[in-house]
Amino acid sequence: MQPLANITPLKPAGAVEVRNVGQIFKTTTQDVVALEDVSLDVKPGRFVVLVGPSGCGKSTLLMMMAGLRQQTSGTITISGAPIPEPDPNRVGVVFQEASLFPWLTAEENVEFPLALRGVTKSDRRARAQDALKLVGLDGFGKRHPHELSGGMKQRVSIARGLVQDPPVLLMDEPFAALDEQTRMTMGDELLRIWAATGKTVVFVTHSLTEAVYLADEVIVMSPRPGRIVDHLQVSLPRPRTYEMLSGDTFGSLRDRIWRHIRKSA
Amino acid sequence: MTAATLRRLIVVGLIALWEILPRAGLIPELFLPSLSSTLAAGWNEAGEYGHALAVTLYEVAISMAFACGGGILLGAIVGSLPRPRILIMPMVSSLYAVPLVILYPVFTVWLGIGSESKIAFASIYGFLPTMLATAAGIQTIDPQLLLAARSMGATLSQRLVRVIIPAAIPTVLSGLRVGGALVIVGVVVSEMLISSAGIGYLISRYRTILDSPHVFAGVLLVLAMAIAFNAAIKWIERKAAIWQTGTRAGQNAAEEITPTLQPAT
Repeated sequence: MQPLANITPLKPAGAVEVRNVGQIFKTTTQDVVALEDVSLDVKPGRFVVLVGPSGCGKSTLLMMMAGLRQQTSGTITISGAPIPEPDPNRVGVVFQEASLFPWLTAEENVEFPLALRGVTKSDRRARAQDALKLVGLDGFGKRHPHELSGGMKQRVSIARGLVQDPPVLLMDEPFAALDEQTRMTMGDELLRIWAATGKTVVFVTHSLTEAVYLADEVIVMSPRPGRIVDHLQVSLPRPRTYEMLSGDTFGSLRDRIWRHIRKSA
Repeated sequence: MTAATLRRLIVVGLIALWEILPRAGLIPELFLPSLSSTLAAGWNEAGEYGHALAVTLYEVAISMAFACGGGILLGAIVGSLPRPRILIMPMVSSLYAVPLVILYPVFTVWLGIGSESKIAFASIYGFLPTMLATAAGIQTIDPQLLLAARSMGATLSQRLVRVIIPAAIPTVLSGLRVGGALVIVGVVVSEMLISSAGIGYLISRYRTILDSPHVFAGVLLVLAMAIAFNAAIKWIERKAAIWQTGTRAGQNAAEEITPTLQPAT
């Protein structure tokens, strides 16, 4: 553990810095280079989307930002300090499958990270209520995950990621398992929550449409070894609307990403 | 008529038949003594049956503790560590397919014909399914749940107590159900084979003198024991695993509430 993580960061809260990061997976037969010399700057409050074909290491990069995996080389800092292990006060994580604990109710799931730190029951409940209200699930706290739809489960998951009010929210293909309509609704919901909280969001997805629709910036990655091949600014105004999907700006951005991905696939 | 009342009616009908058929002379008393003569036989020898029941219950209790305690402990170790799993699991699985009762005479040679040989035999008999189920339960825990817990800063012991144990409970309980039932079988069968006390011994002894009412009185006691055990497991299941309500009910619940949640999904 590095004591640095507890010092007041020099950088403003919510900045994510990735410097010359590499990741090598050692297998018995050979070493696989998953990521090579990746550098990336995410300014506080930005919505950044990582896209790329399977195996480009975008999820691996996200896991390293979450402190769930350590890079082989280079440095990653969150709000100016390295992240040697997961720290839900600095970084919230939302996974593809809702990954809720099926034996706990929605509010108990949201309280889980607080319970790990011994926050009192009443305090926990109050904060879970606030988080559930934020994601539009007021009144559903007593339900178990199997009593919730896929979209609602992901809302609980987002509430759990935000309950400790971390400046950074990392999302690993959070809507990939949802149907198209639910996915669109959840995208709008996420943008609403993002606008309301001002969090930095780093979002991994396979969907080009989702990437352009949600992002301030899109980072395009290529596989074997994982590398950043393009960094696009999405100039579309906010709030984003469904009509923008058929506009020229949207189309040309999506085409540009697609050309990169087709080249590397 | 609901399925439950129908089930009760069937049981009542069978009990009535048990009384009526032998009394009407349709079945010889030697094959099936009437319920009333069975109960009377048991009542007249209440002291003998009471003593036998005490012996059997004692053996079952000790064996249950060994089988369940040892099964859960070893199952947890084997399930969570890959190396012992590779070494032990194939052996245990094939051992489970062997009719272990062939080893019982060997146990009596080692431990005598008292309770010790019964306890040893029944413990091993019930241990195998409990251990296999526990190992399977630990192995099949969704790694995503463990990753999520880690991302929220859960330590190893917190992951064990708050994720691994609750997630494994349903599989472990189904193992206990099978293991516990086999413990009862093991104790009674070994008593019937070679012994000098217990309900199995009584059944076997009365059978040799063709005293059917006394045989059936013993059978009733074993039946009662099995039913009591089943009720106990059901009670534990209800207490421990609310989430076993199943996905079907969950889907229905989700469908019911979807229209009330706007603009949710």
